[in-house]
Amino acid sequence: MEREVRLQKIGRRKTLRQRAKENRKWQKASTIVLPVILGVILVGLWQGQVLHGWFHTDTFTLPLLDKIGGIMFDIKDKILINTLSTVSVAFIGLLVGSLLGYLVAVLAAMFPKIGMGGLSVIGAFASIPVVALAPVLNNWTKDVSSQASIRSMVSKIIVVTLICAADMGLNAYRGLTEIKPFSEDLMAIYAAPKRTVLWKLRLPNSLPYVFTALKVSVPASIMTAIVSEYFAEYITGVGRQIRENIVLAQYSTAWAYIATACLIGVISYVILMALQSILLRRYH
Amino acid sequence: MKKRLKRLVCAVTVASLAMSMLTACGGGGGTSQSSTAQTTQAADLKAEDIIKKAAEQGKVGNWGLGNEYEVLALLAKYNLPTKYLSQDFTMDGFDDDSILLASAMTYNELGLVKNDYDGGYKYGDKVKYIDMNDEGVAMMEDNIFTTKKFAKENPETTAAFLYASLKGWEYAVAHPDEAAEIVYKAGSSVSPDHQKYMASEVAKLVSTNTKGEKVTDIGNMDDSAMQQTLDIAKKYVTLDDATANTKFKALTLDDIRDKTFITKAKASDGKFNIEKKSVKIQLKWLPQAQFMGYFVAVEKGYYKEVGFDNVEIVSGGGDIAETTAVNNGTVDFGVTWETNLASADASGMDLVEIAQIYQRSGLVLVYKPEKFS
Repeated sequence: MEREVRLQKIGRRKTLRQRAKENRKWQKASTIVLPVILGVILVGLWQGQVLHGWFHTDTFTLPLLDKIGGIMFDIKDKILINTLSTVSVAFIGLLVGSLLGYLVAVLAAMFPKIGMGGLSVIGAFASIPVVALAPVLNNWTKDVSSQASIRSMVSKIIVVTLICAADMGLNAYRGLTEIKPFSEDLMAIYAAPKRTVLWKLRLPNSLPYVFTALKVSVPASIMTAIVSEYFAEYITGVGRQIRENIVLAQYSTAWAYIATACLIGVISYVILMALQSILLRRYH
Repeated sequence: MKKRLKRLVCAVTVASLAMSMLTACGGGGGTSQSSTAQTTQAADLKAEDIIKKAAEQGKVGNWGLGNEYEVLALLAKYNLPTKYLSQDFTMDGFDDDSILLASAMTYNELGLVKNDYDGGYKYGDKVKYIDMNDEGVAMMEDNIFTTKKFAKENPETTAAFLYASLKGWEYAVAHPDEAAEIVYKAGSSVSPDHQKYMASEVAKLVSTNTKGEKVTDIGNMDDSAMQQTLDIAKKYVTLDDATANTKFKALTLDDIRDKTFITKAKASDGKFNIEKKSVKIQLKWLPQAQFMGYFVAVEKGYYKEVGFDNVEIVSGGGDIAETTAVNNGTVDFGVTWETNLASADASGMDLVEIAQIYQRSGLVLVYKPEKFS
């Protein structure tokens, strides 16, 4: 404040940048406006074939946006089927994996001796690359069902589950154990049983950490689903279509599926953010 | 009394158990006998019935990634849904019956299924197969192709490369065992025994046409066989990209192959004025006797004879798209299948076939007859 006043005394006018900095409304708008401007510039560069010049590529390998959009519209039924397949694998895997991870974290918090072992096992599983895990699980799930579509889906879900479980397990464990000392002391003073500490203190405290885990594992689940489709016995899914079309030199179609994969990722992230702002309102 | 009865019952149970176990043991021999009986029965089964049965259960397998067109055509021919299971690059799925009708190349997977050398599944003659040539859906496979631009700018290089490669193929077809050894030494992906088997089978594909007649003119682009491939492809292959699909349906043979270079190579005395002294050829798969002609040409110095400084054979496999590699100039020549080339051209590539090495389809669908009786 003092500085401002002094500046005014000297008589120098505030620069546009400074004024923008101080304007709350502009600040809020700029978080939306600036990315949109970047997007528009990118679209312009792409559609105007400037990008092609920079990367020394052609409209065959990097088709123009209107063409990609046109194909997406033409084969929307096919895209929908493949999207459903990918999304269901990612979502079920995410759900099962997160629950499993959370459960292990709770166990680890309650019974550190046993639980910590479980956490490290899950962590070890998650550090196996998906490309190594997927074909192995394909073979392991051969007896699950006589229907290739079902056993193939199960194997993909297991891969996603393992990846998501680790994220959730490690993060939730922090949330369950890193508690403010005074609240722990308070519980001790009340002579609260372990169960009550868990329900009233540990679980609520872990909620923000759950969302931290989800922020990583939602995109990871989609990515894992897409990669494990490459190895699946039953041919379906956005990832599989990208691979097949690229090898067959059908780049425009492949791009249509790449765009679909991006949309899935962005939309699921938006949904997660919306959920977070609703559920974590009282934390802010 | 009661005790005696109990004992009797026990004795009878034990005896019957022992008997049943013995018969079960004998049953092994018995089933193998009956399975040979079934084999002869299954021989009477028509290919159509087998394909229908496998397709109804959704247990037809293929690798996809550009190898699936003949299988799609076959399924479409019998009005079956054109869905297939993804086969990995082993025959385990066929072995454990999760795939009833599995794709196999005569020179590769069929040998692995039948033979008992390292890596083989030892089925011998217990398996039977459906041949694409007999079914009328044979498509032309391994060829040599380049881009129209490269061929136009380097006509002598292209002709010289063909001349030396065909010479290599001629030698390999005449001496498959030696060719197999050369390939094995050059860094093969499979065992020497399998390499030998492969070389002898590939020699058949190179020197026999779809009707089973002998071909002496190696590399010849037979119009009727190529036209059949294109016709089947147009009938059964649909590209998702609508513009590409329209272009695909309008393709003619002249759009995808050029005979000038092979004519020039065949008429040549072996002297060329090469524009590009160092070239690369992209294989469709890992180095193996499937491509023995090029390895022989390198080993015997045929490429050097016509004036090349260096010819590099680039391994393919899995997700390496030979069409893309040639189109973007990473390599100069490539080996692919006619349908792949046609669909790549339809979607905007600039490729042209300059020689057709395989004269008949090497794809078969292998099955265990007892599963279909």
